[in-house]
Amino acid sequence: MTVSTADEGTRSSGGRLLITLLLPIVLLNVIAFIAPVANLVAMSFREATATGSMKEGVDLATWSSLVADTYYWSMLWRTVWIGALITLITLVLSYPLALFVSRAERAKALLIVLCISPLLISAVVRTYGWMVILGDQGFLQALLRSFNVTPPRLINSQLGVVIGMTEILMPYMILSLLSGFGKLDTTLEQAAETLGAGPLTVFRRIVLPLSMPGVLLGCLLCFVLAVSSFITPKMLGGGRVALLATEIYDQAIVTLNWPVAACLSVLILVVFGTALLFYGQLSKIVE
Amino acid sequence: MLPTISRGLHALGIISIMMFLLAPVILVFPISFSADAHVAWPPSAWSTRWYVALLHNEEMVTAFRNSLVIAGCVTALTLVVAMPAAVALTRWKFWGRDALTSLFTAPLLLPSIVLGLAILVIFAGYGLVGSWPGVIIGHLVITLPYALRVLITGLSTMPAFVEDAAGTLGADPWQVFRRITLPLMTPALVASAALAFIVSFDEVVISLFIAGTQLKLLPVSLYHYVESWTDPLVAAVSALLVLGTLGIVLIVERAIGFGKAVSK
Amino acid sequence: MYLEVESLEKRYGHFAPSVSDLSFSLGQGELLGLLGPSGCGKTTTLRMISGLVQATSGKIKVGGQDVTGLPTYRRNMGVMFQSYALFPHMTIAENVAFGLQMRKARHADIAKRVESALAMVHLSGVAERKPRELSGGQQQRVALARALVIEPDILLLDEPLSNLDAKLRDNMRGEIRDIQQRLRMTTVFVTHDQTEAMAICDRIIVMNRGKLEQIGTPHDIYENPATPMVAEFVGRINRLEGQWRNDGAVAVGDSLIRAKDDGGTGRVLIMIRPHRIDLSASDAKSAVSPEENAINGTIRHVTYVGDTFQYEVATTGGLLHVEKATSSATDPFQPGDTVTLRWKTRDTLTFSTEVAG
Repeated sequence: MTVSTADEGTRSSGGRLLITLLLPIVLLNVIAFIAPVANLVAMSFREATATGSMKEGVDLATWSSLVADTYYWSMLWRTVWIGALITLITLVLSYPLALFVSRAERAKALLIVLCISPLLISAVVRTYGWMVILGDQGFLQALLRSFNVTPPRLINSQLGVVIGMTEILMPYMILSLLSGFGKLDTTLEQAAETLGAGPLTVFRRIVLPLSMPGVLLGCLLCFVLAVSSFITPKMLGGGRVALLATEIYDQAIVTLNWPVAACLSVLILVVFGTALLFYGQLSKIVE
Repeated sequence: MLPTISRGLHALGIISIMMFLLAPVILVFPISFSADAHVAWPPSAWSTRWYVALLHNEEMVTAFRNSLVIAGCVTALTLVVAMPAAVALTRWKFWGRDALTSLFTAPLLLPSIVLGLAILVIFAGYGLVGSWPGVIIGHLVITLPYALRVLITGLSTMPAFVEDAAGTLGADPWQVFRRITLPLMTPALVASAALAFIVSFDEVVISLFIAGTQLKLLPVSLYHYVESWTDPLVAAVSALLVLGTLGIVLIVERAIGFGKAVSK
Repeated sequence: MYLEVESLEKRYGHFAPSVSDLSFSLGQGELLGLLGPSGCGKTTTLRMISGLVQATSGKIKVGGQDVTGLPTYRRNMGVMFQSYALFPHMTIAENVAFGLQMRKARHADIAKRVESALAMVHLSGVAERKPRELSGGQQQRVALARALVIEPDILLLDEPLSNLDAKLRDNMRGEIRDIQQRLRMTTVFVTHDQTEAMAICDRIIVMNRGKLEQIGTPHDIYENPATPMVAEFVGRINRLEGQWRNDGAVAVGDSLIRAKDDGGTGRVLIMIRPHRIDLSASDAKSAVSPEENAINGTIRHVTYVGDTFQYEVATTGGLLHVEKATSSATDPFQPGDTVTLRWKTRDTLTFSTEVAG
């Protein structure tokens, strides 16, 4: 490693000091991040026996049985489209709110805190809140019944998962959008107005294009989190909504088939990579 | 006339979205005071029976205490590990620095379900599952990236040249760190400590994998409780957790300004 | 010599060196200006002297002692930063006391010296305030006091005036010079502003692209610039291209011009300062002395800027800029007027643009 310290006065001892400072974090990342992930990828090329232990040798047996099973294909498809749907709804709900907050003249700081502080509350607690709202004896059912509406089943269904996930992910989307709106100078809009653009044109030609980087980032973040989240689908889906993440948990903890869980993990990473590629391409087009 | 109506509709829309966002956090409060044996709206009567039940629920009390201790240890260790790393990554120029920085923040990008499984598989071989060190190390992997990010921003947005100035006045590198860098880092340190504590205390997926059944942690116990019971006990815990988080946010706000800590 | 810099060089990676082959020395109590455009290496030079940047090669000596290998905190140099770099978490008094604490001065001694340092910069009343409560000018004085209170061997000033507004800048400039003279403090002053450098420096180094272009007194630098770069950097100047003739004059277009140097060969660059050229109506007949150049031209353009008129005059030698002080007594020339331009041959600078022979 070639080293030059900021004050450059003590070059050789600076190198030793640098290594000392970085050693703990490097060790921790090797022990608890790099090695486990590498090991997990390797494990996807092993095969489980009926007793939960693993056969000797490395092969593609687990992978090929996975690929042959239509159950997993439909689950992958469901995971992706539910993720996309959640992302879309999150965007539609978050955009006006984020725009409003970024333009707020009074109490802007308070509004921002209100929008993102749900992030600091455990997902278990927030999902539990949704169970209280969506449950068969819940707040929303009671509300709808008082209007003489018979609502569909909200809990233990895909609808419930989508509603809960949307709320859980909104703070992430709002944060990304706010960072995008930060670059939006209101004088640009004023300039467009002096050139004869109406409010709708200003939005379509100025605000929307300039906020696209924030929109894309938010969508990437939400999609990736939606695809990989597990607590909310498990609690609100009541075991009826099988997604990649919930299946990984079941395989790892219930069935104890680690190689299959490892394969599904790699699959999630592939979905991640694909989303990242899309994001990269779309970002280039936007710029 | 028309603009007034559209502005009114706009305001109504914004308020509805805001309510949607905050509804689950707010609604656990009334439910926690329900006198019913099951979660139902509206509660047939009000009482504090579920708070009393909570105090007598040994598993929840133990889990709460364990989570507090774990979060405390994780916070302390996070600062001890992240602070030197942040100094190294901002005050030295060396080959591969940017790559290292990305590597250290990468665990945040990995789905926690994958990370949890990966750590479980390795730790199982060394008997670390269900152990205190195992859980602490597992939590460190995800608290470190947050803390590192906040500390790096804090260090690199420090007023220009004050460290150089201290050097020219005769302060050696250690004195510069103690007298100049560290005091100026206080807001970032407070923010990263609060963040590490909250992340560790709330972490559920990784804990589900590594804590096993032996070591009870609050989010995991809550999750399992909800799986098998429908009474409002969890609402009481949730209400307390929301208040606790609010307390931390207020303390941080008092110390440094929460908006500042977040926007960094 | 008190401060000696020998063949100093700084390289970052494989790029062209930021500073190369820089040598100069200055005596006790001298104020040296490092002048040049941004990126010329003047700040890097200052940071090498202070030890904040390690020289790639070369030597720096203070009072005969080699300090090149010493870290900053052992060099005893007072540095004033462009951004002042006051410690935001300390009061003004604590800022000024910091260097003395590092030197383990006695408590009572520190208090006394801080007080007198603040008095020297006329800031006695603000000792207990924080830097952000002070104006830019006040912060700047604190920075000066903090740098001086440690009784440094050398005072290094990095563009200290560039963050102040114009009026304050002139005042501070005078004050810095006064204090420097009173303490007989050996000082290096980095600036990109030639007026600032001329006003207070004993000698000036003009730097360009990491190299020394010229070192000399302000008068030297202005009247006898060593290179066209120096001539252009220290003030407005006309440039004409011509050819040396055997008789020692220079042919520029259809005109002949005599210069300070009388003779050379090949192509040559001629430079004349606009305010050294005299304008008169071309019908005013007067003899041309040998110490003078005179050529005819036509006014193209007039700009009024208050204390001067700036004329653009088309001559047989090319376009020349001329500056004349305004006066209520005479009417300015108008575009289209034909005029005679006169200037002293000793105000005519020449620079060969090709190697003679």
